[in-house]
Amino acid sequence: MDFSISEEQRMFQESVYRFAKNQIAPLSEEADLKGEFNFEIWQKFGEMGLLGLPVPESYGGSGADFVTCCLAGEAVGHAGVDGGHILAWGAHTYLCAANILQHGTEAQKERYLPKLCTGEWIGCMGLTEPGCGSDAAALTTTAVCRGDRYILSGSKTFITNAPLAQVFVIFATLDKEKKHKGITTFIVERDFPGISTGKPMHKMGCRASATSEVFLDECEVPIENCLGGEGNGWLIALGGVEWDRSTLIAPFLGGHTFMLENCARYANQRRAFNRPIREFQSIQNRIADMKVYIEAARLAIYRIAASKDSGVALNPLTAAVNKMYVGDRGFETASEGVDLFGGYGYIHEYPVERIMRDAKLGQLGGGTSDIMRMIVARFLMM
Amino acid sequence: MDYELSEGHKRLQAEMGAFCREKIAPGAALLDVAPFEEAAARMKANLKALASAGYLPLCLGTDLLGRSVAGEELARACPATFLAATSSAILFGRSVKRFGTEAQQERYLPSIAAGDAIGAFACTEAEAGSDLGGMAVTAEKRDGRWILNGEKDLVTNAPIADAFLILAWTDRNTGLEKGTGFFLVPRSAEGLTIEKPSETMGLRGALTSSVRFSNCAIGEEALLGEAAGAGYNQMAAVMEEVKLAVAALGIGIGVACMEESTRHGKTKKAFGKPIGLFEGVGAKLAIMFTLNDLGRMMTHKAAWAMEQKDPESAVLNSCAKLFTSEAAGRIADLAIQVHGGHGYLKGTAVERLYRDARFAAIAYGTSEMQRAFIAKESLDRFRDA
Repeated sequence: MDFSISEEQRMFQESVYRFAKNQIAPLSEEADLKGEFNFEIWQKFGEMGLLGLPVPESYGGSGADFVTCCLAGEAVGHAGVDGGHILAWGAHTYLCAANILQHGTEAQKERYLPKLCTGEWIGCMGLTEPGCGSDAAALTTTAVCRGDRYILSGSKTFITNAPLAQVFVIFATLDKEKKHKGITTFIVERDFPGISTGKPMHKMGCRASATSEVFLDECEVPIENCLGGEGNGWLIALGGVEWDRSTLIAPFLGGHTFMLENCARYANQRRAFNRPIREFQSIQNRIADMKVYIEAARLAIYRIAASKDSGVALNPLTAAVNKMYVGDRGFETASEGVDLFGGYGYIHEYPVERIMRDAKLGQLGGGTSDIMRMIVARFLMM
Repeated sequence: MDYELSEGHKRLQAEMGAFCREKIAPGAALLDVAPFEEAAARMKANLKALASAGYLPLCLGTDLLGRSVAGEELARACPATFLAATSSAILFGRSVKRFGTEAQQERYLPSIAAGDAIGAFACTEAEAGSDLGGMAVTAEKRDGRWILNGEKDLVTNAPIADAFLILAWTDRNTGLEKGTGFFLVPRSAEGLTIEKPSETMGLRGALTSSVRFSNCAIGEEALLGEAAGAGYNQMAAVMEEVKLAVAALGIGIGVACMEESTRHGKTKKAFGKPIGLFEGVGAKLAIMFTLNDLGRMMTHKAAWAMEQKDPESAVLNSCAKLFTSEAAGRIADLAIQVHGGHGYLKGTAVERLYRDARFAAIAYGTSEMQRAFIAKESLDRFRDA
């Protein structure tokens, strides 16, 4: 048993932290306030190699393993970068590029990965629909094979990056009768006839990320753009969970560390009743609860990353535990961060309220906490 | 980075689990309700069995991760036995092992390891728990002997112990860190009175009572490590190992509650199906699983960090103790609810586990003290000049 990271990993994490703190975080407050995606941030992510982190160097990436990807995500969160840009990065790299990397043909990888790695193309993944989220297998977007193309019809919603994306990984069904087994994955390009995206949605948190519906209206997809073979979509979606439960949520861990540091500094300097408020137990209790959360979340996330790197298949039980705890307890402790700051906690310039709004997504996106509990309960009941 | 237990620890876990299921678990319910004489006899027999199984020697050694792994299995089978074993082998035994003179170690450790003698450890008093500065027990040097006066409360194992470690003032004026001694007192010492057993809410098989000293005279050789003034620091050092042990207790109770609740969820039917299939029950099982799973990782990391002498180990240890102890309480509460009306009856396992669980968030550093300690570390680290 070994919980340490190597010196090389530590130095890498340190360099990502410094980059994010100096070059990205200063732009976050305004981006979140306006709810606007900042392309300068995106370009810098690309130049730093973050967008293609897990992609092999031969396709323009950095060839990083799961643990390294988590370290980078944690560092960016720790630097105080807003949830919006972090989510945009996560969806692009781990929900879109990673799928193409893991399931793509050589031709698909060569076409899409290099530009996704630089960030010239923005990618997204569309599974959720207006009529089905938790019950993802009940999706109604259809795909029909006609000669040398598939024709896709239906709509997706809550798709991170959709308004800005060139590359869409879309899940549709070839045969509803086959249920899970009919679901198939497709790579759709913005230029293909019949695809359009809706207006960006206004969200509680992660506001700088662009989120919208995706409309497929007899969208024509070349036959060679089927990803991973017909009928394999459900397995591909489940497989994507391993990224979602580790690399995608690692920034939450960093964000909470950022919050803890801000809370500690504030508690040291803010005075009430003739003393710094750190002397009050109600303040200490919140700091302690944040620290406990951080240590537990760290273990949960890196356990998955470390076992993936050792070649162990993802344990769905572990994944569900992760998501549930990181999401639920994350939001609770983020709310305590706001409490600690008192009135100032409610004001946008103090970063805690943004952390709380961003943290709410942890309980909802990528699988709700209710579903996580359902997954664990089903396992226990077997 | 590697989250897997070593092969050796996996074997230990399996063997300890099998041993506890067979030899310890069956007596757990009875220990909770047995009258004093019977409880004392059963606990002594359990400790002897744990000695033969290698658990007491493990507690005296330095394999902290092994202790956590094996300890969880024991706590799951019988939390009361876990507490008694911990009090004897870790609180008492490790104090002697780490700080005793060779003679003191030779006198006590072999019989503690063999389960032939039982140790007890006394710090808490009526006016001193979290704040040991409020202690009143004194040790006065007179004619080459130490004279102890005062009373210690809540001494686990006192009714059955052969030897006690007592924290007492040697010089109150110099304060806790320089003015206390840890004294080895045999049961036979004159002036030592073991009061009748206290009635505790839970862990009732771990017999507990107050211990009173009236001019109790012991020899010079009774001072642990012959280190005058060092008692509090010795105690604090061993307390780190005790915190780790209490974390294992929390997980063990949590796992026992989860297993009982899962079994109930599968077998009890309502409205046409096993109740575990209703979210109202299933979600609770999921929370139990999650808290145990995370608590276990935190405890293992704390053990690893302590073995590595990692500067973060004290905070991680505190985080683990806080998390698992509060988790045990929450899990036990959920378990009663899952069992419905029958959960409210004496004789149902979760009723006992609920009372057992309550101990964890109080003992060996209350949750309040853990939070204060954890917060201080962060507050001190992140302050602008």
